[in-house]
Amino acid sequence: MSEIISSDNLRKLADEWIGQGIHVAGPQRSAGCVLYLPLLEPANLLLDGFVHPANSAKEFLFPKTEALYAYRIEGHDVKLVEQPETHVPQILLAIRPCDAVAFPILDHIFNWDFADELYNARRRDTTIVALACSVHDANCFCTSVGLGPASQRGADALLVPLTEDTFEVRSVTDKGRSLFAGKTKTDNVAAMAAAGPEPRFAAEAVRRFAAANFEHPLWAEHALACVGCGACAHTCPTCHCFDIVDEHSARVRNWDSCQFSLFTLHASGHNPRPDQGSRQRQRILHKFSIYPEKFGEILCTGCGNCTRNCPAGLGVLPLLIAIEHEEYLPA
Amino acid sequence: MSEVFEPRIVAFVCNWCTYLGADLAGTTRLEYPANVRIVRLPCSGRIDFNLLIKAFEVGADAILVSGCHPGDCHYNTGNYHARRRWMVFRPLLEVLGFDMRRLHFSWISAAESRKFQQTIKQVVEETRELGPYQYPVPPAATSGKGHEPQKSHFDAAAAQQRAREMLEAKEVDVVIGYGSSGPVFVRRVEDVSRITCEDTRLNLTTYLAKKEVRAMGRPAILTKPMDAGALVVLERESQIESGAVKTIPIGEPGAGDFSDLDALLALPPDARMAWWAAEFSRCTRCYACRQVCPMCYCERCIADKNRPVVIDTSPTPVGNFAWHVTRAFHLAGRCVGCGACNHACPVGIDLRLLNMAVHRAVDEHFGFNVGADPKAQSPIGSWAPADHEEFIR
Repeated sequence: MSEIISSDNLRKLADEWIGQGIHVAGPQRSAGCVLYLPLLEPANLLLDGFVHPANSAKEFLFPKTEALYAYRIEGHDVKLVEQPETHVPQILLAIRPCDAVAFPILDHIFNWDFADELYNARRRDTTIVALACSVHDANCFCTSVGLGPASQRGADALLVPLTEDTFEVRSVTDKGRSLFAGKTKTDNVAAMAAAGPEPRFAAEAVRRFAAANFEHPLWAEHALACVGCGACAHTCPTCHCFDIVDEHSARVRNWDSCQFSLFTLHASGHNPRPDQGSRQRQRILHKFSIYPEKFGEILCTGCGNCTRNCPAGLGVLPLLIAIEHEEYLPA
Repeated sequence: MSEVFEPRIVAFVCNWCTYLGADLAGTTRLEYPANVRIVRLPCSGRIDFNLLIKAFEVGADAILVSGCHPGDCHYNTGNYHARRRWMVFRPLLEVLGFDMRRLHFSWISAAESRKFQQTIKQVVEETRELGPYQYPVPPAATSGKGHEPQKSHFDAAAAQQRAREMLEAKEVDVVIGYGSSGPVFVRRVEDVSRITCEDTRLNLTTYLAKKEVRAMGRPAILTKPMDAGALVVLERESQIESGAVKTIPIGEPGAGDFSDLDALLALPPDARMAWWAAEFSRCTRCYACRQVCPMCYCERCIADKNRPVVIDTSPTPVGNFAWHVTRAFHLAGRCVGCGACNHACPVGIDLRLLNMAVHRAVDEHFGFNVGADPKAQSPIGSWAPADHEEFIR
């Protein structure tokens, strides 16, 4: 037995949620790009015809800029100013499984040595409705990191395309069940998830290579084309590094990227990661070696956004494939 | 209590003329509204646009910039440089839909206390009518123009042939070309087949600033028609030596197309500002635009300076506005229109439009062709007596 919903009814449901004051976000076409954006008009919700939005869904739990607190300087005193609660209940609708799974992975870091209440509060108030993939492109590699096009982890409910305009609703948690309770039709057809991309590399081999080859010509060779921007990290569902600055009487955290030269620059002028090779190595090490050793999980969901958005066609995938096959030119 | 709007005016004035004019207004008891905050700088030529943007960020409702009359500058030509920069800065702000009625420029000499008084009165009254300045609030859902990366078709075989010849003749040590996904750095003749010209989004001259690439030796670079101009600019700015970089041109040059810019300019200023606010709201400050730009070779970008912070690093409407205006202005007379920044932007902001506005301004006002002559003087670093000044009081 399965629960079925048509795309029309799904959009109507989204409209109801919006009417209830719930913040709904989902993939939409913004002229040239597909992006996860706040949903104001349910008709704009994209349910097919795209592989992955150019951004990731992390920004709805971990915004690109966020004030931790504000302050006022009065004479010799610094007075803290209460920040208004900015989050409202939200539903992330039709996000890809590779975005949904990022949240349980990120939960580790946001609750490791310090429970990040800003993240946690949003996390509690967020319901995640994932949409299984029916297409993939050359940048996708979820199957190489143990996931797949209909992976349920991190989702409260998963929509699996059944026909052109119907979906099977697979409720995963109580949150997801209550969201769709009474809104679906019960039927005895079951949706078949589409085949994922062929596995491209073995994550364990990457971990072994990265852990054993801190110094290796591959890093520098691969990083030659890297221009040092943060497009990979900023569009990654799991990259979570941030910078803290004081601006306009508030202490603000903003997304950062390990690919920026400024990321590790010391006040003395010394930079322990002086070139793109060491920065690319850091990104791979963090995702495939450091994070797994600390938290038992790969910090990568195989969404392919880093490669898709890289102006130089890099991202992690070509490097991971090169590590697997050692297809590199010696310097 | 009645709610009378008292505009805040920030006046950036030069030390030698306008400040003395203001001083004289005080000593001769000429009254003028107390709405103005005067910031004294050595010369109007010193007035950086980031100061003006900063003033709006911290609550200014209008700005006045004032210096010595032409011919009166204490440093001979500082005011001419200021005037010229405004000729380029104003069209940039116009494309952004910035309310130009909030920007004032005047020449006020040390003796013109009455002119100072009158100017301040006028600026305050005009601003009072406009109401407070507010950064546009981006609409929650954006519908930017975006762009589709164009897959261009170039003759890879010819480029491979030329690369092979150059490497065989040992004319160059490395050929930087376009591969199937991103650039390739070909150092051996047997690798020239990697030059497939499939992904040609980048302007490869950007790699000349990279020390790892410089260390490879003498380069040859595949250049699309708009890209090669970057080498002229880099030579003008002493970043490369004349003839040090060989090129392998690919593609046929086409005419510059300004129709998108004209379409945007046809909108009323408010609509333009709202459109840009929506565009900028998607910016995460990944700096892909800057990193792919051959002209953005500064070792430490002004956006990365944090002592003091010149441009907010936060990707807020305020910070993003400051960043994109600054970048566009820093490219005045330098952007060659290759479009690499547009292709690099993950969220599809049409940055090209800002660069086109500046490009058109230097072309129209100074007849300057960015990519033509490496010996030509930069239009922003020079001035002419005939520079127009109809926007100056």
